[in-house]
Amino acid sequence: MKRILLVMGLMGAMSLSAGELLIQNVRLVETNFQSGEVIDLRIVNGIITQIGVDLVAGADAAIYDGESRAVTPGFIDSGTTIGLAEVRGLGVSHDGEQADDDMTAGFQVYLALNEDSSLIPIASNDGITRGLIVPEAGDSNYAGQSALVRFKRGSAFLQEKTMAQHLYLREGDRRRAGGSRSSALGAALEALAESARYDRQPRAFNTNKNRPFNLDESDLIALSAVRSGKTPLVVHVDRAADIIKVVTAFRSYPDLRLILASAAEAWKVAPLLKAENIPVLINVMENLPQNFDRLGARLDQATLLANAGVSFAFLSGSPYSETRSLSQAAGIAVAQGLTWQQAIAAVTSTPAAIWGLTGLGRIEPGAMADVVIWDGDPLEVTSAPVAVLIDGDWVDLETRQDVLAKRYVELLDLK
Amino acid sequence: MIKLWLFMAGAAVSSAIWADYPSTYEPPPHAAFVLTHAIVDVGEGQGEFEGWVSVVDGKIAGVGAMDEARPSDTLEINASGRWLTPGVIDVHSHLGDYPSPGYRAHSDGNEATSPVTAEVWAEHSVWPQDPQFPLALAGGVTTLQVLPGSANLFGGRSVVLKNIWSRTVQGMKFPGAPYGLKMACGENPKRVYGSRGQTPSTRMGNFAGYRKAWIDAQEYQKKWTRFEKALAEYELWRISDQGEKDYKEPPSPPKRNLQMETLVGVLKGEILVHNHCYRADEMAQIIDLSREFGYQVTAFHHAVEAYKIGDLLAKNNICSAMWADWWQFKLESFDGIKQNVAMVNAAGACAIVHSDSARGIQRLNQEAAKAMAAGQRMGLSVDASVALTWITRNAAQALGVADQTGTIAVGKMADLVLWSHPPMSVYARAETVFIDGVRRYDRAAGLGPVTDFELGQREEVF
Repeated sequence: MKRILLVMGLMGAMSLSAGELLIQNVRLVETNFQSGEVIDLRIVNGIITQIGVDLVAGADAAIYDGESRAVTPGFIDSGTTIGLAEVRGLGVSHDGEQADDDMTAGFQVYLALNEDSSLIPIASNDGITRGLIVPEAGDSNYAGQSALVRFKRGSAFLQEKTMAQHLYLREGDRRRAGGSRSSALGAALEALAESARYDRQPRAFNTNKNRPFNLDESDLIALSAVRSGKTPLVVHVDRAADIIKVVTAFRSYPDLRLILASAAEAWKVAPLLKAENIPVLINVMENLPQNFDRLGARLDQATLLANAGVSFAFLSGSPYSETRSLSQAAGIAVAQGLTWQQAIAAVTSTPAAIWGLTGLGRIEPGAMADVVIWDGDPLEVTSAPVAVLIDGDWVDLETRQDVLAKRYVELLDLK
Repeated sequence: MIKLWLFMAGAAVSSAIWADYPSTYEPPPHAAFVLTHAIVDVGEGQGEFEGWVSVVDGKIAGVGAMDEARPSDTLEINASGRWLTPGVIDVHSHLGDYPSPGYRAHSDGNEATSPVTAEVWAEHSVWPQDPQFPLALAGGVTTLQVLPGSANLFGGRSVVLKNIWSRTVQGMKFPGAPYGLKMACGENPKRVYGSRGQTPSTRMGNFAGYRKAWIDAQEYQKKWTRFEKALAEYELWRISDQGEKDYKEPPSPPKRNLQMETLVGVLKGEILVHNHCYRADEMAQIIDLSREFGYQVTAFHHAVEAYKIGDLLAKNNICSAMWADWWQFKLESFDGIKQNVAMVNAAGACAIVHSDSARGIQRLNQEAAKAMAAGQRMGLSVDASVALTWITRNAAQALGVADQTGTIAVGKMADLVLWSHPPMSVYARAETVFIDGVRRYDRAAGLGPVTDFELGQREEVF
């Protein structure tokens, strides 16, 4: 209650990122968190301009006392579906996949996003300020293109229309292309080859009747961007044997930027991933051997990848259920042997590097002011943000859940 | 012959409940020991203390603070720097019935062929080699209830298991634990059967289905009562030649009906009702239903709106089994809130954190911690010790085994977990897990069950 009032008050004072904000007396997780010393952050027009001890506020600066709390960069979720469905179980309200087409590389989730979704503040409440909204595989192994969002309701929600192309090659995905993983990977490569032919003769798309294109023009354009490395390719694949085949097959496209997701057995081929500089997106809590592709799934996968020098970031996968909290995922990874700094990096600086998000994932002069102030160790399940800035704007952390809770605490006079 | 008849008459219903398919689990012998210098929380919500717990023949033999006398002649295990709690209990699991790997060939949790399948028993689907059991053990889970799924109004009988690696499910069954009956409210039954053009296709159809089945159960119960009376009259005649009738043969019992046996078990108070029910208004209607037919609802499961009716639940002595933060994956979970568990607790009702998930069961302590913290932020008075009761004592109560496990108390089963950190911390890992005094998991020693499925093809991780 106190927290809500405080933030609301601040919002009234400075609802725009214009001007100067001085956040005093905080502990940055990247530097002085453990030592207990406090530090100040100066933010001007949504950019962090200065970090130092006892900074002097400008004449018109707003001041926020951080009360020695922990501060992290806003967390970055490398894969979720917020904005694509209000209620996942209601088929009609879900827009995350394209069906009825044998190739959907051209599918773009950004056109379906709901920037007013009630799920958005649920993410910022968990300290997540940015995220990739990822398409699921419909009838095609190429599911289409993810978008990048800010977890702030309204017109600022969408940040980038196209972040990555998503190719699904997990055990269940082979049925989408002839029923074999051989044909699934083959079809994915053929589609890339066809996009190369399209690049050479784009005008032939409508005129070449002797050798027509199998794909729609939107698919070909999307895959061209994958070949050139303009759009990274995220391959969702689990089995070590398949990961090797995928890495080997895509070598013929030297500019293609390969990223692995799901990747239950990535740790088994860590040296290869390290050598080829291929990052891995991990859902930490997915450790069940749910099928034969995932026999090697384990809870300490991040530790094994870290020890092998492979770059990795965490994703939640879904905003609804048991894997939704990135801070909890990172905490579990620490309990499983990762260092605290490595775990924080896997939800901040590492995803920023993987996705090329300059100015995000770090608190440093020149960075965008995505700042989360926590009421405890950010990775503890008992901790939560007390205040969140996105691009220098305070985010209203009150969710529909909080309003419901308040109603019934008052109605039942709970203490 | 007489003995047989008496047995059948007196025990026809209850024998089906208690005697068939018995547990064969017997804890192996172990040397007596005393754990010392641990931070002990006995699971009664009264806080923690530095103390000792002694274990003899699988049972808690003594508990005390370090300055209190402890047995001197038994093996001492120094648990300094460890937190000691009762074994974690999950009241809602499908391990074994929905195992990993999760192929259709293995998927045996929902007999979704008729809205009333009270005749099926979850234990008949449990695959004891499910590798999810050891993962749950590594999360400190010593006891779990495996329930049928929620496609049906009456899904069937649940079974309470000890988290023991065994060749058979009988070797896992919690000796003497009452059976449960899985019932389901709301979207699932009406969706499954409505989509096939049969009843129920609405929530009112759901209720008509419950009521019809309970009416049938009452009739069945009467039939057996009449038979038992007739048999008693016959016995009197046979022994003393008294009575109005002459008998050529003893009265013959009604044909057994498995579906009705389970429902009558509920009406007789021998089988506990575990009712999947999300919405507050539906829970209130189920309470009326239970009054109409004279039975007690033991727990509402997936009770995401329990916070709206904590007073009603407290008054009716019904537990709520809840997630910490699952919500909005279906419309009936739209009003799920993180403060739910703490609000139910604050209303004086029995609160439980459950998993319904092979992932969640690995970290029920963290889920309880999240729920606790959300309550504290709301200004509710709840602490780590109270939150621990949500996954120990209260869970045992809902399973009808609170007299045997769920807290650290003299005479109870020595189901114990030693944690590396305070149990409400994300960093806490179960270091050692005892079931009936036997060390079943020990991280440092690399001790833990490896299922047949994992053997030779999956790395052993402790």
